[in-house]
Amino acid sequence: MLNFLKKSEYVLGLNARNLSYLRPSNSRRALRIADNKLLAKRILSKAGLPVLETYGVISSYDDLKNFDWNNLPPTFVLKPNRGLGGEGIVIVYGRREKEPRPWVKANRKMVSIEDLRDHIRNILEGIYSLTGLPDAAFFEERVKLLKLLKPYSFRGIPDIRIIVYNSVPIIAEMRLPTEESGGKANLHLGGIGVGIDMGTGITTCSIQRDRLIEYVPGKRVPLRGIQIPDWQEVLRMAVYAQQATRIGFLGIDIAIDRDKGPVILELNVRPGLAIQIANQSPLKDRLQRIKGLKIKTISKGVKIAQDLFGGEIEEELEGISGRRVIGINEPIEILDANRNRHLTMAKIDTGAYRSTVCKNLAEKLGLNKVISRKKVKGALGAEERPIINLSFVMDKRLVSTETFIADRSEMKYDIIVGRKDLKRFLVDPAKNVFMKKPKIL
Amino acid sequence: MFFPIQYLINHGIPQETISLLLMIPIIATIIALSRQVIGIKGFGIYTPLIISFAFLSTGLKFGLMLFLAILLVGTLSRLVVKKLRLLYLPRMAIIVIIVTLTVIGAMYLGIYANRTEVITTSIFAILIMITLIEKFIAAQIEQGARGAIILTSETLILSIISFWVVNWSWLQDVVVQYPVWIIIFSLLTNLLLGRWTGLRLFEYYRFREVIKNVELPKKK
Repeated sequence: MLNFLKKSEYVLGLNARNLSYLRPSNSRRALRIADNKLLAKRILSKAGLPVLETYGVISSYDDLKNFDWNNLPPTFVLKPNRGLGGEGIVIVYGRREKEPRPWVKANRKMVSIEDLRDHIRNILEGIYSLTGLPDAAFFEERVKLLKLLKPYSFRGIPDIRIIVYNSVPIIAEMRLPTEESGGKANLHLGGIGVGIDMGTGITTCSIQRDRLIEYVPGKRVPLRGIQIPDWQEVLRMAVYAQQATRIGFLGIDIAIDRDKGPVILELNVRPGLAIQIANQSPLKDRLQRIKGLKIKTISKGVKIAQDLFGGEIEEELEGISGRRVIGINEPIEILDANRNRHLTMAKIDTGAYRSTVCKNLAEKLGLNKVISRKKVKGALGAEERPIINLSFVMDKRLVSTETFIADRSEMKYDIIVGRKDLKRFLVDPAKNVFMKKPKIL
Repeated sequence: MFFPIQYLINHGIPQETISLLLMIPIIATIIALSRQVIGIKGFGIYTPLIISFAFLSTGLKFGLMLFLAILLVGTLSRLVVKKLRLLYLPRMAIIVIIVTLTVIGAMYLGIYANRTEVITTSIFAILIMITLIEKFIAAQIEQGARGAIILTSETLILSIISFWVVNWSWLQDVVVQYPVWIIIFSLLTNLLLGRWTGLRLFEYYRFREVIKNVELPKKK
């Protein structure tokens, strides 16, 4: 029980979200931007970020009277500018050729110009707006569903919600529209929230109505293990959007269009907290680790997020396979003659059988006692190389082996680790790509 | 008795009025507390407060019946009026008209059945119930059926608790005897509540799986 209370301190609740994160970092200006979809779009597209095209804006009865309905494409989305929770949105998928040329909705119902006028009048009256104040309506390009995500979504478009704080993506989830949510991707209406591993962009746990689920409701389609395309790009866009809007704590909704790739759908200054359940990971802890960091570039923010908050998939893999997941460049500790540890970077080379260590390094560590010799055939011809005993610790595992020594003073890495010593590891070429060589010896 | 209060009473202001007024800080604090610490949302302070005061005049049982009847008629008429596709305010006005007519109808029914509550109920209680229908219908439009049901029942629970507190005769005496302490206590509690960043009681339940999965850092 005491443990439970202590652990609960890592979870972000509504009180703490509002008081500690929304208030200090989000000004009135921020609220104005995020609650006004058209303004947000203008700011984002000015910053060069991809947003959905606006076909037309109607902000008064005059606009409505003079609106040219013939300019609308056969498929579009009609939205209230200050709408909340996906209310008041009309989506049409095509237009009939026969007069009076109505549009067609997802449920095959017809929508005439007169219907749209009615709906727009309601929007102008402010029925769907946050505060009930008069609102504007606008027509927007419809996102085209990615084939990859088709089996997972009911009618609507899934989007990716990323919470960015202090230029670092903190947590991410994919929101899937369901039959229960009426084709909307909002969790409180019954949409599915799918946690995403920050490091790889692969989905992990899923929830519907705050409860963990494994499959798409009513289907045997597992929600785990979906690779979000363009993951790096999505993260970069989210960080850039936060910087461009200068909103300290921001939820960014990104959809992936079949043709255009990632586009920013919407900004949210009060992102919901169920995202913690979808990721089975507490937010407060993550936020505290990021607070006060000085992030200079977008890449840095993305990298920190991937390094700090990624790894769920890896842990799972390690759990199943009993092996450690390592990258192409991996820090390792070599044990010298006195069993002291010396840190260096190793190149993981699955093309080589036996590991090779630099002659100079081996001498320095007192490990140059040759136990045998072996001939190796390489591109440069056959060569006989000495073999020594060597022990090293890689990703917390001790490996005792026999390695070649060779002159590697001209090479970037002092040691190459070959297949013979990799049997207890899995190599992921996407991991640690940017890892810098630590200062050694 | 605290002198300024005595002064008001001596000049003809009923003690009941004063004790009701002094109940407002307590009710407001209870409502703030239930939101921030327990996690019961409801419709802000005004709605539960005014409903509990309405209950005072109607009695809890009759008040609840009246409230639920009005809510039911309001919701049903919304579903019917929805089909007419009208603008927001005229649509809401029609709902209020239907609800008003229902209440008048209920009066005939009450007289016929010889129920005295119908005759003695103050008009303000009925007015409050009828006008609040707008808030509940607006919630149905904004939050959908599920959200509206949750919000409405939370509001109702808060109203009933507030009613019990306001109706508590011991407390009615205490607030008149020690009004200064009541005010200071309410203000301090709210200052503390306003800085409270802990999890709400319901959130412990909501996030239980996440909490279970937290790995505490190992002590070195």
